[in-house]
Amino acid sequence: MSLLQREREIIVQNEYIDRFDFAEVEEFIKNASKNLFISHKFKTSTEMLVQPRGGFPTYDKVHELYKEFKGSNVDVLPLTIDSNTRLNDYAHAKKMLALSEENDVDMLNGYPLVNHGYRTTRKMITHYDTPVSLRHGTPDARLLVEIALASGIFEIEGGPITYLLPYSKNFPLDKAFLYWKYVERVTAKYSELNEPINRESFGPLSATMQPPAIVLVIQLLEMLLSLEEGVKSFSVSFSQTGSMTQDIVSSNVLRKLARKYADQFGHSDATINLVYHQWMGAFPYNKSYSDSLINTSTVIAAMVGADKIITKTRNEAFGIPTKEANALAVANVKYTLNMLKGLPKISDAEEEENLTNMVDEILEAVFNDSADTLWRKVFNSIKKGYIDIPFSPHIINANEVITVRDSESNIRIYKKGSLPISEKSFAYERSKIKLAEGERVVDKIIQDIGIML
Amino acid sequence: MKVVTGVVGNDVHVVANRLIDISLDERGFEVFNLGVNTYLEEFMDAVIETDADVLLISSLNGEAEGWCRDLSLMKKQYDFSDVVFMIGGNLGVGEMNADELDSKYKAYGFDLVFHQVDLNIGLDTLENFLKEHA
Repeated sequence: MSLLQREREIIVQNEYIDRFDFAEVEEFIKNASKNLFISHKFKTSTEMLVQPRGGFPTYDKVHELYKEFKGSNVDVLPLTIDSNTRLNDYAHAKKMLALSEENDVDMLNGYPLVNHGYRTTRKMITHYDTPVSLRHGTPDARLLVEIALASGIFEIEGGPITYLLPYSKNFPLDKAFLYWKYVERVTAKYSELNEPINRESFGPLSATMQPPAIVLVIQLLEMLLSLEEGVKSFSVSFSQTGSMTQDIVSSNVLRKLARKYADQFGHSDATINLVYHQWMGAFPYNKSYSDSLINTSTVIAAMVGADKIITKTRNEAFGIPTKEANALAVANVKYTLNMLKGLPKISDAEEEENLTNMVDEILEAVFNDSADTLWRKVFNSIKKGYIDIPFSPHIINANEVITVRDSESNIRIYKKGSLPISEKSFAYERSKIKLAEGERVVDKIIQDIGIML
Repeated sequence: MKVVTGVVGNDVHVVANRLIDISLDERGFEVFNLGVNTYLEEFMDAVIETDADVLLISSLNGEAEGWCRDLSLMKKQYDFSDVVFMIGGNLGVGEMNADELDSKYKAYGFDLVFHQVDLNIGLDTLENFLKEHA
């Protein structure tokens, strides 16, 4: 028995789950309907796929939610996992699931998949025969991903960086890396049985004033780490920055560099998709403004030529939306997209050059780390602050980089911390920043975070 | 005045927590920020250790109720009579009635409850409350 398989046998020995039958799961994936694979849908579809977010504590409410989404002609269904499962606190999730079932009040902000188990969940997934994407935020996703794949969920979001630094206060970095390597390997192994399982990175990060250079570096590194373990279908992603120019520039550079680095590292057989997240920051309480924000971001998604868009709803500021509001958002995005076919490509050569330079400079420093494997190089780079995510809750994140918006709302690097970018690149960023006389940076940042309020 | 603050339960939304920290500091409070992903027991310990005047719990993901139901039990284990208990943020999963949430959380043992209220309004209210009870 391989080391990986031995580890898997241990992982599924968990008091919160039923017996895990590896042979049966393998047989299920081998014979699963092609319609469950988003990788297949990407290959066969000419239009941008629309995927909402969503998950409720109980099985019945998720079933109802999916029914509502199907009524809006959804392309990809989401399964958002609750916060406790994300941090492996299955005991609390179990207690809150029981309270949700008894009192008809949602005590969890998502679906506790581990507690529900794969035998139950698979019934729902195969019933709708539509690709499902696992949305979570889990540093140790080994058990969760085993159960998701066994349920028929063939897209796994996250990664060792994007589901650690924005999603945890003190989960050890080395462990998260090992645990995500496990996820990549299991995903790769199952990808040989049928259509490939798609892995998707989480570009929004902490969704607050993220400089595109850092987002792109992390997208490319997670892509390379995943492909290195044998994954054949990968989605890079980013979220609306608040500047249309910056979104278009980010997308052009990300697409170009993703292909370049994938090929350079010997993965020319891998498919790379681009995913665009509608605004992930604080939403306005005025629902008409939310509608406008959502429509605008749909237009931007069409302009950047995303392969998939992940939607928000007009209820975002108020909490998790009802199934009706969520399905309406999907229908509206599909309606808007219908008007946006065959748009001309636009670009900004100077901005693209500066962003490309910064990304290449940071990546070069990562690749030049003296460690022997890419996983270790990336690990060291986080510790050295070469990778530094503004507004990360994690104690290991350097937290030295500070960003502000320029007069055109582009997010610029104001303090570079230990980012290994050249003086020339940094000077370009700084040249765009104009602070008013006597304006304090902290007030500017607060204002810039709340740009959509 | 000393304030212990942080985000309750398995909630990792850090942005508002940073802003609360900065705002309290600017208003002259001495801030002990436990950050995201903090359990009720840790908050209570910190209040005792720092001899805090205010415990300001925040929550964004809506799951605070599940973590705060035992507050009144914990308040019985020590003399917290001179501590103001305050909670704010998104206090329910989905769209909720603010008045219903207010009475629910007050029954759990909070003095001040702010569901989707602007941070500065919440902190103004806290300052007035502290003045009145000085």
